[in-house]
Amino acid sequence: MEAEDKEEARFIARLAARDERAFNELVVLYQERVFRILLRMLGRRDEAEDMAQEVFVQVFKAVSTFRGDSKLSTWIYRIAVNLCKNRVKYLKRRRAEAQDEYEALAERSPMTAGSGVMAGDIARPDHMVEGMQLERVVQLCIMELDEDFREVLVLRDVEDLSYEELCEVTGLPDGTVKSRLHRARAMLKQAVERKMGEKAK
Amino acid sequence: MSEADEKEELGADLLSALKGGGEEPAPPDVLAGFQKKVRERSGGKFYEEGWSTSRHPPINTYLITSLLMLAVLGIIYALLAPLSGEPVPVENTPQPVQIIPTPH
Repeated sequence: MEAEDKEEARFIARLAARDERAFNELVVLYQERVFRILLRMLGRRDEAEDMAQEVFVQVFKAVSTFRGDSKLSTWIYRIAVNLCKNRVKYLKRRRAEAQDEYEALAERSPMTAGSGVMAGDIARPDHMVEGMQLERVVQLCIMELDEDFREVLVLRDVEDLSYEELCEVTGLPDGTVKSRLHRARAMLKQAVERKMGEKAK
Repeated sequence: MSEADEKEELGADLLSALKGGGEEPAPPDVLAGFQKKVRERSGGKFYEEGWSTSRHPPINTYLITSLLMLAVLGIIYALLAPLSGEPVPVENTPQPVQIIPTPH
């Protein structure tokens, strides 16, 4: 364990010295885990890929401020989660703006604009859910969760982080993490059952 | 809460689906994009463009560089060798031995 710590300290020293080879090793070592978290939290591969690069750029910029209070992996996860939450907020805002624009356009459009479109042409949600795998349904339900709930759920149940690590990444006390995780699981389970029920109908 | 309790809370199927059902999404190559972003944002200070930024420098680069170096050495040798000309003969005939008489 001590040898591992020494090894990590040496590695961090190389990173702080902006050793490019050390950063290459770091990216190769963590890219899969970081990508998995981002993919689950953002729900889009292209976004997750771009964000993963951004996470390591942030690590590159801030590594000299890393004091070693936590494990390097936990610190990287914290950067990933924070960037991700900012991105989710930005995407939500953009989606809301796009929705406003769409509604404004609909108000301006004459009623006849929709003529020729049959009700059956519009994909019904239950039809859309049909044929989806449970995994896809779960991903959709994760996306419906609030970022704070999504964060603890992904870190614990996808990445298997310990409660101690979860507290370090989120900056929350143990009790809050546990209750938030409990609520996140309950909400996810409920949402999945609702969607699967719709599918069954 | 133990791991078994957690499985109970979420259900094994749901937990498995959450983890990706054992099928990992193919990870992207983050390294190239990361290097490009750092290079651009540092104004070329880090990860300067070139073969060294690649994780696996192409073997051809090494081969071509080696062959080029050999060719340059060959050309230099070919140019300089005639200039040196024939070796200058060295007079190395031994001098006659002179016997010094011993004093009585």
